[in-house]
Amino acid sequence: MEKKLSSIAKSLKPSPIQQLSLLAQRGNAVNLAEGFPDFPAPPHIKAAALSAITSDFNQYRHVQGICSLLVDKMKQMHGLDVDPLTDIAICCGQTEAFAATMFAIINPGDEVILFEPSFETYGTCISMAGGIPVYVALDPPYWTLDEVKLLDAFTAKTKALVLNSPHNPTGKVFNMGELEIIAEYCRTKDCIAITDEVYEHIIYDNEPHISLASLPGMQNRTIITSSLSKTYSVTGWRVGWAIGPSCIASAIRNIHTKVTDSAPAPFQEAALTALRSPPEYYISLRAEYESKRDFVFKLLCQVGFQVEFKPLGSFFIFAALPETCKLTDVEFVEELIKEAGVVAVPGCGFFHTKHDYHNRYIRFAFCKDDATLTSAARKMQQLVDASGRLRFL
Amino acid sequence: MLLPSCIIIRPSFRITTTFYKPSSHWRHHIVPINHSRRLSVPTFINSASISTASSTTVEDHTPSVMAQDGSTPHHPLQVAKRLEKFKTTIFTQMSSLAIEHGAINLGQGFPNFDGPDFVKDVAIQAIKDGKNQYARGFGVPDLNSAIAARFHKDTGLTVDPEKEITVTSGCTEAIAATILGLINPGDEVIVFAPFYDSYEATLSMAGAKITCITLRPPDFSLPIEELKSKVSKNTRAILMNTPHNPTGKMFTREELGQIASLCIENDVLVFSDEVYDKLSFEMDHISIASLPGMYERTVTLNSLGKTFSLTGWKIGWAIAPTHLIWGVKQAHSYLTFATSTPMQYAAAAALRAPDSYYEELRKDYKAKKEILVEGLKSVGFNVYPSSGTYFVVVDHTPFGLPNDVAFCEYLIKEVGVVAIPTSVFYLDPSEGKNLVRFTFCKDEETLRNAVGRMKERLARK
Repeated sequence: MEKKLSSIAKSLKPSPIQQLSLLAQRGNAVNLAEGFPDFPAPPHIKAAALSAITSDFNQYRHVQGICSLLVDKMKQMHGLDVDPLTDIAICCGQTEAFAATMFAIINPGDEVILFEPSFETYGTCISMAGGIPVYVALDPPYWTLDEVKLLDAFTAKTKALVLNSPHNPTGKVFNMGELEIIAEYCRTKDCIAITDEVYEHIIYDNEPHISLASLPGMQNRTIITSSLSKTYSVTGWRVGWAIGPSCIASAIRNIHTKVTDSAPAPFQEAALTALRSPPEYYISLRAEYESKRDFVFKLLCQVGFQVEFKPLGSFFIFAALPETCKLTDVEFVEELIKEAGVVAVPGCGFFHTKHDYHNRYIRFAFCKDDATLTSAARKMQQLVDASGRLRFL
Repeated sequence: MLLPSCIIIRPSFRITTTFYKPSSHWRHHIVPINHSRRLSVPTFINSASISTASSTTVEDHTPSVMAQDGSTPHHPLQVAKRLEKFKTTIFTQMSSLAIEHGAINLGQGFPNFDGPDFVKDVAIQAIKDGKNQYARGFGVPDLNSAIAARFHKDTGLTVDPEKEITVTSGCTEAIAATILGLINPGDEVIVFAPFYDSYEATLSMAGAKITCITLRPPDFSLPIEELKSKVSKNTRAILMNTPHNPTGKMFTREELGQIASLCIENDVLVFSDEVYDKLSFEMDHISIASLPGMYERTVTLNSLGKTFSLTGWKIGWAIAPTHLIWGVKQAHSYLTFATSTPMQYAAAAALRAPDSYYEELRKDYKAKKEILVEGLKSVGFNVYPSSGTYFVVVDHTPFGLPNDVAFCEYLIKEVGVVAIPTSVFYLDPSEGKNLVRFTFCKDEETLRNAVGRMKERLARK
């Protein structure tokens, strides 16, 4: 019966990382691996969802009001003019927005450029749509864009490019210079850009989040995908969107209608409240995450990791194992779970081509309650040697 | 669930184009989307987040607008060829027209009454309790267990909730994940027309070769000889729906047995969409998975929405043996990754509802069905027998309109009632031109009003 699987399904294998999950679960470890909060969602947004359910917003619906609010945001944040009736597709999370976008624009054999390290889902989604992911490595330690590498990645078959900024797993925020390079290639090579901006509001040190779509000549070739999940700490609600030129947005909507039909109705309703959150909400979101970032950054440096920079966005730190550590990332995480009772994610899952560093990185998430972070710190600090470094680092 | 399932995939494989053998009908040029059906957008769409009232509800999710930017010289349409099948749906168009004319909407397949409090309360509590983050990708364990328990009660089959069930955003996604996870470009899949409109679209997304067998009035029975002639060793799967939307037909044990023996003989899979299984009136629903030799080759698809009048919650699932569920699970993890968390807890409670809930549900719907069917008959429609679902299909030709779309437009404008033209459910639209679909998932007053309008204003020719 295995032959009944599609080619894609056959090529996917579970990983040793899954074993680590089980190990962590059994030992009740402190979880700095999962990219979602362990603190509650904002009360005003939860209240909106509760109200929607009790007011019978429970049948199939498309809440057009979300589109109007997104239009305002796009104008405010990026100076973009978006048509709420034609340019937006509401989907079940950014995941579905991305998947529907791929199905909307990729023909079998089309190549799509991705920057690595990269969130695993992109590549597989592209393959599922019949496309070919082409990886361009960002250069450690600062994960800078190498223009030559990017140029080399373009071929006659390149259809699109995916940009995730703020970036998972590194916490990098692509700066204007890099965006200009990317935009230039998109324009000259007539390439479509798809952005994943789910961490758009989780950005630090007054760094601006610039959407690639706001650069000259980019709006009519860029699809922005994002969602409620990270900004409003409701990763389980599954409300996201794609914003792009109307012909593509229309295609995305039509695909979405056939793939899931609609996003959960009460949460679409609650999205109206979420998207109307006052400026103070975003300011305090950033401030809270920034202090968590600083705490974890300090901790990791103290215990001997090589962390070259503080992430400017997202809630991840991509820490390097020092030269002296003879373990691979997977082995290290295993030790971390067993010895310290703390979980993190081995970085190898984010790399798709071999580099001499692809198993030297560990991703720590700090989207956790202060108590969780403090507990993680205490556990790790108990295992340091005389020099203050984690015994097995 | 510890890590998002996306992280668990090893990156050490390579996908190359040699996996794909595009069938010969693929061409490399791209075609623009057909926007030839143009309806202006009613202003209500801007404030569509209002509570449902039967004549103003919007079913569909795609505002029926003209796309402005057909092609500009430097930006040709760059959409995939597969999208020929993905056009603005008939539901949107009918809904817009309905609102314009204040028509009573018996077209949309969702209730104008709400789900039960005992289910909604669990969702509310889950949100309050903080269950608002990613659920385990393939389902919250409690829901998987509840699904397995219910399936066992319904079919006698014992399935492993952790290994044989994937929870999805509605049955629509379960269908998409099943097709994308188990069908390769060029694979032959048999469907029965008329069919739910996502089937054709999703199959074409997977590059399948669609073979269509039409179910015909008056009883839409399975044309077994035709099926025998079309099933071969080259057939990858049969996609079926029972109880059947739009006809209300339910596949009998004999018909299922015939399908089963062909599948076993030719090693064919079955994808069985059973969302209306609890809305079975004239006979008992039978899951084909329960027939001898069938569980190992069947994916059974279902959802919460129809049974519990919560169509907007998007909780569905696929049940299949481990060697098949793997493909579904993978595709699902890349389509939506996880399903809405609080609703899953509520769905588990729903599925544990006592028998009395289902009895009440059937009784309720039976009463509604009677109002509609008696009404339609008395008005002069030729009403085909519907054993299940909350739909009936009728022949409109006594009223002298040339086809189903024309009849539906006439019905909206002159009578003030909405039905759905069935041609959209056929591969060859002309096969549906005499038939339109009415739904009775509306409160009794709405149904009586609709019947009243038809009695008053619809004249036989």
